[in-house]
Parts: sequence; C-alpha cells; structure tokens
Amino acid sequence: MKFKKLVSIILVFLMVSLLIVGCGSNSNANKSSSNGTKTTTTTENTVKPGEATPRSETLYISGLQWGPPTTFNPLSPSQTSLPLSATSIARELTFETLFMYNQLDGKMYPLLGKSYAFSSDSTVCTVTLNPDAKWNDGEKVTADDVVYTFELGKKYPVSWSSNWNYFDSVTAKDDTTVEFKLKSDNKNPLMVEEALESVYILPKHVWIKIEEKDNNDFSKISSEVNANPVASGPYKVFYYDNAKVVLIRDDNYWGKAPSMWGKLPAPKYIVHNIFKDNAAGDTALRQNQVDVSQQFTPNIQTFGPNIKTYLSNPPYYMPGVIPWLVINVTKPGLDNANVRRAIAMAIDYDKIAKNAMSGYSGTMSPSLMLPLDSEQKLINQSQLAPLQWKSHDIDGANALLDSIGAKKGPDGIRVLNGQKLSFKVECPTGWSDWNAALEIVASSAKEIGINIETYFPQQSVWNNDMQTGNFDMGMYSYQGIGISSPWARAYQGMSSNGYAPIGQTAYFNYGRYKNSEVDTLLNQIPNITDETQLIDAWTKLNEIYLKEVPMIGLMYRPADFYTVNTSVWSGFPVDGDGTNIPPNICMDGYGIAALYKIHSSK
Amino acid sequence: MKSYRRYMTSKMVWYILTFVVALFLNFLLPRLIPGNPVSTIVSKITSGMADTNSIKRVYETFEKEFGLNKPIWEQFFIYVSNLFHGDMGTSFGQYPRKVTDILASSIMWTIGLQLPAIIVSWILGNVLGVLAAYIKKGFDKVLFPVFLFISCIPSFGFAIVLVWLFAVVLKIAPASGGYAFDMIPSPTISFFLSVVQHYQLPFWSIVLVGIGGQSLGMREMSIYELNADYVKYCRLLGLEDSKIVRYVFRNAVLPQITGLALSLGTMVGGALITEIVFSYPGLGSVLFNAIAAQDFPLISGCTLLITTGVLIANFVIDIIYGLIDPRIKVAQQE
Repeated sequence: MKFKKLVSIILVFLMVSLLIVGCGSNSNANKSSSNGTKTTTTTENTVKPGEATPRSETLYISGLQWGPPTTFNPLSPSQTSLPLSATSIARELTFETLFMYNQLDGKMYPLLGKSYAFSSDSTVCTVTLNPDAKWNDGEKVTADDVVYTFELGKKYPVSWSSNWNYFDSVTAKDDTTVEFKLKSDNKNPLMVEEALESVYILPKHVWIKIEEKDNNDFSKISSEVNANPVASGPYKVFYYDNAKVVLIRDDNYWGKAPSMWGKLPAPKYIVHNIFKDNAAGDTALRQNQVDVSQQFTPNIQTFGPNIKTYLSNPPYYMPGVIPWLVINVTKPGLDNANVRRAIAMAIDYDKIAKNAMSGYSGTMSPSLMLPLDSEQKLINQSQLAPLQWKSHDIDGANALLDSIGAKKGPDGIRVLNGQKLSFKVECPTGWSDWNAALEIVASSAKEIGINIETYFPQQSVWNNDMQTGNFDMGMYSYQGIGISSPWARAYQGMSSNGYAPIGQTAYFNYGRYKNSEVDTLLNQIPNITDETQLIDAWTKLNEIYLKEVPMIGLMYRPADFYTVNTSVWSGFPVDGDGTNIPPNICMDGYGIAALYKIHSSK
Repeated sequence: MKSYRRYMTSKMVWYILTFVVALFLNFLLPRLIPGNPVSTIVSKITSGMADTNSIKRVYETFEKEFGLNKPIWEQFFIYVSNLFHGDMGTSFGQYPRKVTDILASSIMWTIGLQLPAIIVSWILGNVLGVLAAYIKKGFDKVLFPVFLFISCIPSFGFAIVLVWLFAVVLKIAPASGGYAFDMIPSPTISFFLSVVQHYQLPFWSIVLVGIGGQSLGMREMSIYELNADYVKYCRLLGLEDSKIVRYVFRNAVLPQITGLALSLGTMVGGALITEIVFSYPGLGSVLFNAIAAQDFPLISGCTLLITTGVLIANFVIDIIYGLIDPRIKVAQQE
C-alpha cells in the first residue's frame, strides 16, 4: 500500500509540474489578457450565458474565417472576416461604406451616402450623405467622419491608402456633403467609385481618442483589438472565441428609417463557427448547422432539396474571379509569345472545369473578361474570335511549336534556340482545386513536348516567389468583380507600373510584362465615357492580350461560393427571382439586402 | 548522499545545456523556411491595392513591427531577453494576439484531454498486462491481441474510424469541436455537459490506442518476474496468489513509470493530429496552423513548451527513480 501512495504522489507531482510548465510561461498573459476572449454585457432579450442562441433567430455562416478571430479593427492587417472585409466588394454587417456595389447590374446603391455625382470634367466627385445615418453609440454620421477616415489612409499604411494615388483632397462642404478632388495627372473615376463602395467609414470621435491614446503610433493603433466596435452597421460583435464569432442585431440600427431599408434585418444573431477544413463545414451544412456556406463543396447538387445555389443548373455559381496561370515572361523559352500561346492552346480547360472545379466553371472563352454580360458587352466578340484558342488543341499547339523551330530532343522535350522547354509551375499547397488544375496543365503540356513540373509550397513561399520573380509559371488571381473591374484586373495583370526586375519585389504584374501600348490603353479606359470608344479600347486591349498571352485564364471561379440551406431560413435570392439581389453571401455589397428578405422557414 | 548530490548537479548542468541548445534550435529552425511571413498577414489588405508604394509601405511597416528587418542574431537576443520577461512575442498569423495568450487559451484543452487519457490508458494497460501474464485465458488470448491490434493503428486513423462509426453512422456523438455549435462558453451545467459529450471521442481514441502498447511492456515484465526465483520461493512458502501478484506488479511497473513520465512530457505534441481530426481547440491545432502561416513566434512558443515538458519529465524521472528503486540509488551512490 505504501507503494500505491508513492505512485499517487508521483503522479500528482507530475501533473502539477506540467501545469506549471503550461501556466508558468503564461502568467504574464493572464495579467494583461485584455485581448483574449470576452463576453459583451448582455442587453435585454439576448441569450444568457451557456444557453444556445435560438436556432430560428440565428443565421449560421461558414467559409469566411478559418483561424481564431483576431481583431475587429479596420486599420489592422489581420481582421476577423466576419464581420469585416473591405475588399473590392465590402462586407456591410458592422462597418458600412458610402455605397453598395451590385454585381448583377454593375450599379451603386446608397448606404451611408445618398447620392454621388462627378463634375462634367470628372475632376470632382461630390457625395451627399444620408442625414439619418447614425453610429451605434447614437452619434450622427457626418461629412467630418468621412474626411477623417480618408485622411487616416493618408497618415497610416492601411487597406485604403492606395486611394490617395487618385485623390488630391477630400473635404467636407457641410455636414452631409463631401467633395473628392481627383488628381489631374492620374485621373481615374473608376478607382474613386471603388473607394466609395470599399472603404469603411469610421467614427471620428472614437478613433481620434484611440490615436491620442496610442500617440499616433501605428503599430499600437493597428494592434488594437476593438472588441466592441462603434460602427454604423446593423450588427454588433456579441461574443467570440477560438471556435466562433457571434454577432447580434442592433435594434436601434439607423437603417430601419424609411430613407434606408425601412426595417431591421431578419436574423437576430449571425454566427460563424470556425471549422478546421471544408469537410467539417460540409458536414455541418448537411446537418443543417449552416445556413449560408461560402465554401468550395464538390457535387453540391447531391446535397438534397434544401441546399440551393444561385443558379439551379451548372455551373451553379456566378463567375467572379479568373485564376490565372501567370507566366514569367523574362524566363528563356517563356519570353517567346508563341511558346506561351502553344501552352494556352494545349491546356484542357474542359477537364479543369469538370475535375478540378467540380463543374462550377463554365466554358472558357479566352480574354481578360469574365463571362458576365456587364463585361462581355465591352468587347467586340467577332473581332476577337479568330485569336481565341480552343480547349485542348494539341494539333494546333504542336503545329505552332514546329513552325517556330522548337524540335523535340531525345527525351521527347522540345528545344528552342538551345533552351529546353522545361518549366516549373507553382501554387500553395492545400488549395486543392488549384493543385488539380495545375496537374492538368502539366499533363496537357506533356502532349506538346513541353515539360511542366508542379510545385506546391507553403502559401508564404509561393507569395514570395511570385513577388520576387523566382518562378517560371505560377497561379494567381488578380482582381475579380467590383466596380473597377475589369480595368483593375487588366491593370494588375499587365501594367508596367507593377513591373520590378527579377529579384526585386513586385506587388502585382508578377509576370513582369511590359508593353507601352497596354499602358496607354490602361490610362485611357477609366476616363472614356463614350460607349463605342470604350468597346474599341477594350477590344484592342484584349487583342494584345490574346496575341501576347502574358497569362492564361484557367477557369472561372465564383467570387463567393453562395450556397444556402433553406431548412431554417427561406427566401434567399436566386437567379430569376426578380429581386436583383446579388449572390454575395447575404452580406457583401448590395448582397446584404438578402437579410431583409429572408424569413423563417416555419 | 554527497555523491547523490554530485550526480544531481551534473544531471542539472546537462539539462540546462540541452535546454539552451533546444531554445536556439526552436528559434532558428522555423526561420529557415523560405518565404516572407509578412506576405501571409498583409495579403488580405493589399489584394485590392493597385499602387506599389502603398503596398510597399504596408510591408515595411509590418516587417519593422515584427522585427524582421533586423539581422537574425539580433532577433535571437531580443527573443531571449523578452523570454526572461515572460514575453514570447506577438503572433504573426493571429496578429495582434500575444503568443502567451494563445498558448494560455489552448493549453488547458490539451492538458484536459491528454492528461486523463494518458493516465487512464496507462492504468488500464498495466492492469491488462498483469492479468494477461498471470491469469492468461481470455485476457491473454482475446483482449490483449485486440488492444495490440488497435495500438498498431495511428491514433488519428483510429480517430477517423471513431468519427465515422459514432458520429456519422450511429449519430450518438458529435463529430468535432470542443462544445456544441450553438453554445457560448460559460460556467453552467448545460455547457459542461456539452463539453463532456464532445470529450468522449477524442478521449477514447487516445486511450484505446494507448492500452496495447502499455500492456505489452507490462505483460513481458510480469512474465519475467513471475519466473523469477523469489516468486517460486514465495509459492513454495505457500503465499496467497494476490500477495505474489502485488510483489510482481511492484517490480514490473518500474520501467512503466519511465514510459508514463515520458508520455506525459510529450503529451502536448502527441495530441497534435488527434486534435486536428476533431477540430479540438487545443495546442495541436494551434501549432498546425502556426506552421502553415509561418508564424515564427507561435511555432517557437509551442515547441518551447513541448521541449520544456519533455525535459522536466525526464528530470523528474531521474529524481524519483532513485527514490522508488533502491537499487538505482545504490548504483548512483557508488
């Protein structure tokens, strides 16, 4: 028995020592743990701690946030994706932008801003604010807030800093009028419009205090967690931890005024459970634990009658992004446009759409444009048709390579001017649809005597390779949809403004493509108002693209995989329902209008 | 006693030396991965930017913020001196959360899962080992081979089997997470029940896989001891079976204690894949995500925790071994 006692003492000792290891190094954290988990003080009618949020009042989202939530600070580089995302179509749940973009009709809809207008020479853009707009602390949203927000972008390196590339000044004319003066040497109304729909307006009275507290030190300001954001949107942050984010509706939301929505959004809670991977999210979707899923889910049509997508037939989702095979045009062999074109001709796009994308990509029509009416109407189809390549045209590609004298060596790989046509292609590991697409590219290229090896490193390695030009070919998505598309897409892919020599960091135009004709067109397009002129310019730009092939669109991917589960909530927008609400997962841009339309299924 | 103290001192010096080397490697190895960790963090805000200067400014700001613009030896000294203040730095991937904060919020889940699982599997395994050696019959012919078979399955593979069987087919246990998907953590009974419910599958996947290995060693040792002269002598003296088994157990369990201490030391790292399979909010998931995001401070923090755990466990074994096994104490004193 003595021995038993001894063993138990040892065990206790071990446990304690391990706990000390665990906690000892954390003792510091516990003291200053202001940015760990937190529970907001509850208001009336909210769930009590430990209770479940009522299923019929909660909208469950998946596929936006994968790691633990970090900050709710719009100035921070690491924001929690629910409710923050200020990319080309901003998420309007907690912070709001001046206008909302609707990808269906390409128009801007009023939010904090009531209307905007450019002066006749497009040098000034005047925005009028909605006088009803209020912050969730009761203060009014004023022109001063707007000016202050944009000035922050000038002062600190934040996501909207690059807008100052196009602005001369932002000034408040009165309480509800803001004037944006455009730079005369870089006049770009498109990018100004994009700023109106993608920059979150922040409350000056809150952030000026934070700035003061942190002594205008950006590293301190950007690491503020802002767990209880003062914002103007319909939802507030209610609770978050490593496994979930819970938003609660602000029943005093200004938008219930008749000048805006005229009512409150339907769900009282919006919850994003953080899953470890797509498979876990898919399981939850099947078990009706997710209402709106933004995940790549293969074979969505087999999920049963309750699971719906925006389009009821293939490709099920609206195209929104073109993942490109970016070609490093400085590499010997790839510096030859005919070689690039031969690769483009050989690729089996149909197989990529079917196997890598589970049929969610329509037939490829090679150009810089997405297959959306709003973009296709900008080009002259018949003029481009002779230049466009077909899927898997092996004979054509072989003939082209033969004609430029690229002969096959003893190993079956072609040699051009002493340079073996053997390349490496990369994208991050774990991006399964991209990985599969590149494998298909490699096997297609093999059929025309070009050796392509796939390489799937960690995301940061791939990112670094693309930026420094340390790659032959790499997969990358430039700008998808948004008011500045397709201009921003063409600019990011082909403008020499992004050019940097190999070894130096480029932040777009990773392929190092340079063409003065392209630059001229890219400068002109944002300022063209005449429709025929615009079609001319776009057709010309696409012609150059198709001849030069600095990058190859491999598939069409949706901007959001908008999949909804109608077992708890109904009335989600679908194609042809006449609501004109885009499939932006009920929260991005004008897509948030869906929250005012859905209702309980019972 | 003097020589025992000398023995302890020399051991201590070795442990400290090992710790310093481990500290250096923990710092250096993650940083040898090519790539720029800043790009992962800022890519979200720079994706929509079309102006090289603004993007460059964002990169430079955060390279400076994380100290990545300094030479690596200087970064090391900053790291070590911060460590003395209990500061493991700021996570890159979960910026601006502190590494210590992240570890603190996940370590309890890991210890809560692993410690009971390891101890339970150790106890069950040893009992099975002794029974298999002494009683034989069903224990040796059926139970022991079954657990030996299970122990050959990696615990994450076994975990997937359990998820499939109990969560997907039978639907009697939740598939993932630490608590129900619609709950908000709080010290209430319903939340506690939810945690217990979610605890079952990960717990048993570790326990069942562990039993076989533990019982294997125990069975061999017991058989060896059962054939020892003192057992035969006891039998001749007519001692009760239960008394003999107790003696045998005490002698056979010694090497098993080493095994227990070692598995306790490595438990933080051992659960890595099991935690990932169940989306359990523990340290394994944290380390996994940190590696994917090239989150140097967080990787170093996790590995430092694991290293310290192993070293302390070994050190404790060294100390207690002398206490529980007089033969070793004698050897040490010679």
